[in-house]
Amino acid sequence: MADEILQIRDLQIEFVSEGEVTKAVNGVDLTIAEGKTLGLVGETGAGKTTTALSVLNLVPKPQGKILSGEVILDGVNVLEQSEHEMEKIRGNTVSMIFQDPMSALNPVMSVGEQIAEVVKIHEKVDEKAAMERAREMLETVGIPGERAVEYPHQFSGGMKQRVLIAIALACSPKVLLADEPTTALDVTIQAQVLELMKELKRKFNMAMLMITHDFGIVAEVCDEVSVMYAGKIVEHGTLEDVFDHKCHPYTEGLFNSLPDIDNRKSELKPIKGQMPDPTNLPTGCPFHPRCDYCTERCSQEEPPKVQINDTHYVRCWLYENTKESQLKG
Amino acid sequence: MGDVLLEVKNLKKYFKTPRGMLHAVDDVSFTLERGKTLGIVGESGCGKSTTGRTILRLEEPTSGEVFFEGRDITKISKHEMRDLRKEMQLIFQDPFSSLDPRMTVSQAIEEPIKLAGLIKDKNERFRRVLHLMDTVGLAQRLVNTYPHELDGGRRQRIGIARALAMNPKFIVCDEPVSALDVSIQAQILNLMKEIQKEYGLTYIFITHDLSVVNHFSDDIAVMYLGRLIEKAPAERLFEKPMHPYTQALLSAIPVPRIHNRGERILIKGEITSPINPKPVCRFANRCEYCTEVCTSQEPQLIEVEPQHFVACHKVNAEMGQGQ
Repeated sequence: MADEILQIRDLQIEFVSEGEVTKAVNGVDLTIAEGKTLGLVGETGAGKTTTALSVLNLVPKPQGKILSGEVILDGVNVLEQSEHEMEKIRGNTVSMIFQDPMSALNPVMSVGEQIAEVVKIHEKVDEKAAMERAREMLETVGIPGERAVEYPHQFSGGMKQRVLIAIALACSPKVLLADEPTTALDVTIQAQVLELMKELKRKFNMAMLMITHDFGIVAEVCDEVSVMYAGKIVEHGTLEDVFDHKCHPYTEGLFNSLPDIDNRKSELKPIKGQMPDPTNLPTGCPFHPRCDYCTERCSQEEPPKVQINDTHYVRCWLYENTKESQLKG
Repeated sequence: MGDVLLEVKNLKKYFKTPRGMLHAVDDVSFTLERGKTLGIVGESGCGKSTTGRTILRLEEPTSGEVFFEGRDITKISKHEMRDLRKEMQLIFQDPFSSLDPRMTVSQAIEEPIKLAGLIKDKNERFRRVLHLMDTVGLAQRLVNTYPHELDGGRRQRIGIARALAMNPKFIVCDEPVSALDVSIQAQILNLMKEIQKEYGLTYIFITHDLSVVNHFSDDIAVMYLGRLIEKAPAERLFEKPMHPYTQALLSAIPVPRIHNRGERILIKGEITSPINPKPVCRFANRCEYCTEVCTSQEPQLIEVEPQHFVACHKVNAEMGQGQ
């Protein structure tokens, strides 16, 4: 096993507003090895983005509370770092790209200045050298360097996302958090950006956490995948584990909800019901009200982590007796 | 040829902008049979939504004709159009902004019935609302809830109920599932298929999601910068896309499987401006097969095999029908 660059253990985060408690993340464990990409898949409200924000120690305060857990980034527990320390880490060891490139850039700064800003914060360089680096970074993401003096409104959506990637990669971070980086883009532009990200990942030997709702993107760029539901990782494995030997009924439901591109007559089998209300999560397994295999036990007791093989685990009572090497919760 | 419900002929919609004429829809023609679904696909700004809106005359066409059950609706008066709208409805993309936040579920569904004067009696109208809620799978206990209390899937069901309220024959669905999570998306797609069968509805289904359109449509039309560049039965289009843009578009779909992944055709550059386009192939600057004729003449949409139309000089030349 390669060196682990990011390790999240038993992370629990809740938000309190107007007396209501929203349980956003309920005991997440995940690990990414150097240079590897982990896909984090789930639907709206599953807690994917909150998990990623914890790596930057940017969970909104005071309404967001980290109840337990640790986030070890390159040997350092970021949750214990001061704000001053975090400023050195963000953009340097870890960067994030957001979903909406339209709103993530500063409209009154040229894109070159926005890239140079990161470089100036983290490295002892003068203005000129920083701008030179900004131009290089633009070239790296496929934008002519001379466009560094232009402003965000002069770029298309796909180009803006390239600029954001350039900002994120300006200081060669060890970990890149990508939160639905291509969701707002057209499919041909999405293909270009994904291709670019794969290429840059190899070039910089970066680890990546790819948040997405699209298994197509997972198949394309990830090495491993975690499926998240109601703040928990319900299934985790290599691509082969999850695509070819999926275990959890929720994972199965997600795949069955997708139209089969090769067989247009195939029927869609949606998951019944809706996502649970995070202020009022069901008892037992959070998926049990929507699950076709639900038993009485599922509605009462939380399923433990069941290891299917060395790389593949699932949280579901169906697999309780699959193997003896059952781990605790 | 079966029973044609809708025929669009040389439809154009231009918008005046400070920099010139924006050709949103440029000379689009097609026919649609009763009970069928035509998918219109393309990327942002290709004119697919404007095409849908212009067919319903929510935008006045710049020129061209739209025959609905044999009648040219671009020539009829506003008043007649209002009557006809009962038969032609629209489902919107965003179930968050297309509903009045101050109307309850029953008021929202009742509103179009009331405005059109379809049912005068209040109690009978309410029974109709309950029936519609049942049809689209909204529980009766939700009758007095407000949109903000409901999730995206349920809100989209209200949008569908409102469209169905008028007993339409034809519905333009503009990205009806794009704002929804996949598990909910599948529920709504199945619902729309069921009601199509039950009420014999004809759909135009506008989307950027190619795997959804393949699943949902009988025929698919591909648009690029205001032009219809390829149209074929869904199966055929996916089996043998002919236009280089369609080929690239289909190969760009991220397929959710890890074996037998096809080779990807990456197209360079981005969509150009639809303002004052030159009379040449609009895809020429991004096309790897571009030749001289592509940058000097506009390709016409030609039937290269039964029911398969392509607007590409290269394809036309290969099929022996070049100009």
